[in-house]
Amino acid sequence: MVSENLVRKLPNDIGGDEAGKIERVEHELLPWEKRCHALADVLDFHKIINTEEKRRGVESLGAEMVGKLSYYERWIVAFANILFQKGILTPGELAMKMSEVEGRFSDVPNAHHS
Amino acid sequence: MEGSLLAKIEKISGVVPAEGEVPLFNEGEAVAIAMRSPIGHYRMPTYLRGKRGKVEAIIPGMAVDNEEEGYGRNAGSKGHYYRVAIPMTEVWPDYIGSANDGLRIEVFENWLEKPSDV
Amino acid sequence: MSDHDHDHDHDHAPLTVDEKPGYFDVMETAVRELLIERKLFGADEIRRQIEVLDSRTPALGAKVVARAWTDPDFKSRLLENGRTGCEELGITFYDDTQLIVLENTPDVHNLIVCTLCSCYPRPVLGLPPDWYKLKPYRARAVYEPRAVLEEFGTSIPHEVEIRVSDSTAIIRYLVLPMRPEGTEHLNEAQLADLVTRDAMIGVIQVEYKKEAA
Repeated sequence: MVSENLVRKLPNDIGGDEAGKIERVEHELLPWEKRCHALADVLDFHKIINTEEKRRGVESLGAEMVGKLSYYERWIVAFANILFQKGILTPGELAMKMSEVEGRFSDVPNAHHS
Repeated sequence: MEGSLLAKIEKISGVVPAEGEVPLFNEGEAVAIAMRSPIGHYRMPTYLRGKRGKVEAIIPGMAVDNEEEGYGRNAGSKGHYYRVAIPMTEVWPDYIGSANDGLRIEVFENWLEKPSDV
Repeated sequence: MSDHDHDHDHDHAPLTVDEKPGYFDVMETAVRELLIERKLFGADEIRRQIEVLDSRTPALGAKVVARAWTDPDFKSRLLENGRTGCEELGITFYDDTQLIVLENTPDVHNLIVCTLCSCYPRPVLGLPPDWYKLKPYRARAVYEPRAVLEEFGTSIPHEVEIRVSDSTAIIRYLVLPMRPEGTEHLNEAQLADLVTRDAMIGVIQVEYKKEAA
């Protein structure tokens, strides 16, 4: 592929692309996914991150992440990146907060324990 | 353009609309989607670039150009959106289906042009 | 959920989890809590928005459709302005989108898609199903809508125009399906029960199977 095409066509711009059969999958949102959706709406209401910025943030994750992350995984990572770009959060702050949150579950078994 | 909404309004009422307030294209007018390739963020899918269609409706009101909004400009340049009708056979030369089948899409004003040879 | 025994002590009473949250779950909590600590919004706003989301289901859209089938004046107002039509029934547009209602007729069959992301009439239908957000539907609906419809078991005659609306900006779409034959005796609530989410996306038609009687 000509490398410029990676720049000119965004990873989510897929109308007319080759694609397989439609698998009619659906799932009830996990609690964190629903919170993530509510977070997106609240961020837009306050114009901290508007809906269009969220879309741009997802596109700018690049094709590999757009292809491999799930829908709400893309959203939360895009939010983090945009908040860093805007100077609202720093990567270090988020990492520390994530450790703190994980620490609350230190006596809980790991997911998928067998 | 002769016969445009703008010309009519100025003639009839003497009211002077603000810059950009009057839609540049009329309902039923033939239009072409621009052939350009912005990078970073865009809201005009590549499969429709350069295609020709017709304005089916002018979306009421004005809105911020969402390609600017994508960079946090919540009060950027406002313009009109149009609901544009494009035949499927125009979009896909090898379209399988009826020649009557069509596509509809909302297009921001700055993506529309007058078709070159009409 | 896996089974587990809960005989060990929990002194962090509010937590009722039985598994460690995953990486992205933790990230969501961390981002949200940091922003709340900075007073950019309140925790109550997130809770409220979850209630808003939970209150939006295809049953709302079905009500709109059934009203349009039974009240011609409402239908013409709805087709004129989808949003204000829905607002008449108390459906608010929390995401500040506009709505165009697309009427299916014997001559036209409408289908909605968002090729660039996952635009969907959330205020009226709730959140979209996964397949609506995944590549096969988004990529193919604009290229071979008839083949897509066939995969949903919907066969549209060649002489009927297929109209695919690709949603990209401020407008959302809701398909007003055709009222099936033989439903003259049904009341509005019974009609609403026939209307499915997929019919309002346009991938299927509304069906009415008469009870053998």
